[in-house]
Amino acid sequence: MQSFHIRYRNTQGTLMRILNAASRRALDLPAVHAEPSEHDHQVTLSLEVNQKQVGQLFREWYSIADVIKVNSGAAADTWTAHPPAGVALDEARAAARA
Amino acid sequence: MLKGADIVLKCLRAEGVELVFGYPGGAIMPLYDALEGSGVRHILTRHEQGAVFAAEGYARVTGEVGVAMATSGPGATNLVTGIADAKMDSVPLVCITGQVRSALIGTDAFQETDVFGVTLSLTKWSRLVRTIDEIPEAIAEGFYWARSGRPGPVVIDIPTDMLKAKKEFAGPVKFTPHARPADAKADGGFTDTGFIEKIVALLQQSSKPVALVGAGAKLSGAIPELRQLLDQLNIPTFATVHGLGAVPPEAAYYLGMVGMHGTRAANTALNETDLLMIFGARLDDRVTGEPTRFAPHAKIVHFEIDPAQLDRVRPCEIPVIGNLADTIPAFQAELRRHTLPDFSGWRAVACGEERAELDPRGLAQPTIRFLDELFSRLPQDSVVIADVGQHQMWAAQRYRSSSPRGFITSGGLGAMGFALPAAVGVQLAKPDTCVLCVSGDGGFQMNIQELATVHRLGLPVKMVIIDNKYLGMVRQWQQLFYQRNYAETDLSDNPDFVEIAKAYKIHSFRLNEDAMREFPVSTETGDEIDRFLRSTEPELLVFDCAPEANVFPMVPAGAALSEMLLEEEPTQ
Repeated sequence: MQSFHIRYRNTQGTLMRILNAASRRALDLPAVHAEPSEHDHQVTLSLEVNQKQVGQLFREWYSIADVIKVNSGAAADTWTAHPPAGVALDEARAAARA
Repeated sequence: MLKGADIVLKCLRAEGVELVFGYPGGAIMPLYDALEGSGVRHILTRHEQGAVFAAEGYARVTGEVGVAMATSGPGATNLVTGIADAKMDSVPLVCITGQVRSALIGTDAFQETDVFGVTLSLTKWSRLVRTIDEIPEAIAEGFYWARSGRPGPVVIDIPTDMLKAKKEFAGPVKFTPHARPADAKADGGFTDTGFIEKIVALLQQSSKPVALVGAGAKLSGAIPELRQLLDQLNIPTFATVHGLGAVPPEAAYYLGMVGMHGTRAANTALNETDLLMIFGARLDDRVTGEPTRFAPHAKIVHFEIDPAQLDRVRPCEIPVIGNLADTIPAFQAELRRHTLPDFSGWRAVACGEERAELDPRGLAQPTIRFLDELFSRLPQDSVVIADVGQHQMWAAQRYRSSSPRGFITSGGLGAMGFALPAAVGVQLAKPDTCVLCVSGDGGFQMNIQELATVHRLGLPVKMVIIDNKYLGMVRQWQQLFYQRNYAETDLSDNPDFVEIAKAYKIHSFRLNEDAMREFPVSTETGDEIDRFLRSTEPELLVFDCAPEANVFPMVPAGAALSEMLLEEEPTQ
């Protein structure tokens, strides 16, 4: 189980789009906690995901119009362009081909 | 004081909108009431799906935002397929839907549908307007997101009482997005050039590099830069169905379309390459074949504007996030400072005669001969719109356009019924251009009602139905993979399309395969095709195709590109 913290502006549908990125992959959402955070909002999700899905989710969340920042609770994993934080390329390739 | 409906139209004009496609109904009536004198021309289609596909056609051929309008409930839900299509194919689209009045929202009122919820996962952005004050901002923001980055669809849902309400209108507003930490990479402020030397190093280590061009090339507007770069690289190059036209077909290094019905040469090169350079393509399964065996020997360099598209199929070694209009020139400038290895040996193999198509002139396949005749007689700069199915793949294989917006089709969603209404939008955008709509007999019937739109507007669209009296592509799969169990694909009771077109007051005629058995075709047949293409009126040509004609090459679902079928094999 991995935690993700997504900071977003609380505009119409943004939280639903964030959750949809998980639900469209048939990921269970056992824990969702959303609350105001400073001037914005933050939602924390716990998800059972593989390494390939981590990269996909980070990128998909970040492509949502009002998402500001995406972090993973596993480490100080601020979103970076590539590769997914904490994922070595060889591992990611193995996961992608699994 | 202006009504909300007037404000909507003024804001549309401020976004440069001159043309909208739609179908009226209860909740959106105030907007229709305000159309006259607004400067916005409305095109009435005969179904909301026709309206959204027409708006897509307009957007795809111009690169501008297409606008569709519909009422609440069924009007809005009839837009959904077009919205999904625009999402898949990165088409800038704004859909404005009427909603039941605010007090009734959530009560399951007559023609109430939660269109905001229904379309949430299909749109880039959407808004259910709550007050009349929100209208200018909603429209400005909607158009911004439809156009920006990777373009896509937007829904703006407006309750009918907001359209009727009045307020002082200070004028349209401009939307400025909030800055985000990594936006510089995604939105074109491309500054990170550290990757370039790594790509050059990969090229220098490579012995079999290839380039793959997708829709991002035309969306970026960087076609001249891309063509210069490809000339500079001079490596075997191929395109996805939406990348067709981005590379001049006569280029010596160009191998045509890649993927499930791609050319033998392109798929073979992709299977052998050790360095795959991707320019604006997301690599869906119709391009990759079985993803785990896609380009098995290759390192990947992926130029892409949408970070969400990276690594979906497999990780790439070097992602280059940004608009191709920024990233290609940066790469090109650096490349000029280096000497690349001589790839001529590899190029000669990849582009050689031995890998040419087995039947390049389609001698065994009269439908291919017919399409070749048709395409060879098209005026320059024509636009071909293909529906979905066998005819779509034949057209993609045979039409050699050198215009990046010269071949339009529903590639990602594969929505049958797309072509005819999309052709309406294309012809309205390009009134002096020859617009050829190629459909199958199945797909044509999915939006056949738009013949009325074609007739009403007197649009000189040239429509072709490749009539094999089957749902041909499904039947082909049934033949090859389901032991010829042609379950529910038989359309032998099709109506007479020539007579139907006549009922819509559209001139129509029929050609059959026999006309294509001569090579070259008879003067009479050639003249008839020429007259059809040069007519200033709408025209329908029904081509009777052999019922069991198949599209080859073909990569079976779940197979690698290297396992393509080149011709018919016995059913197991």
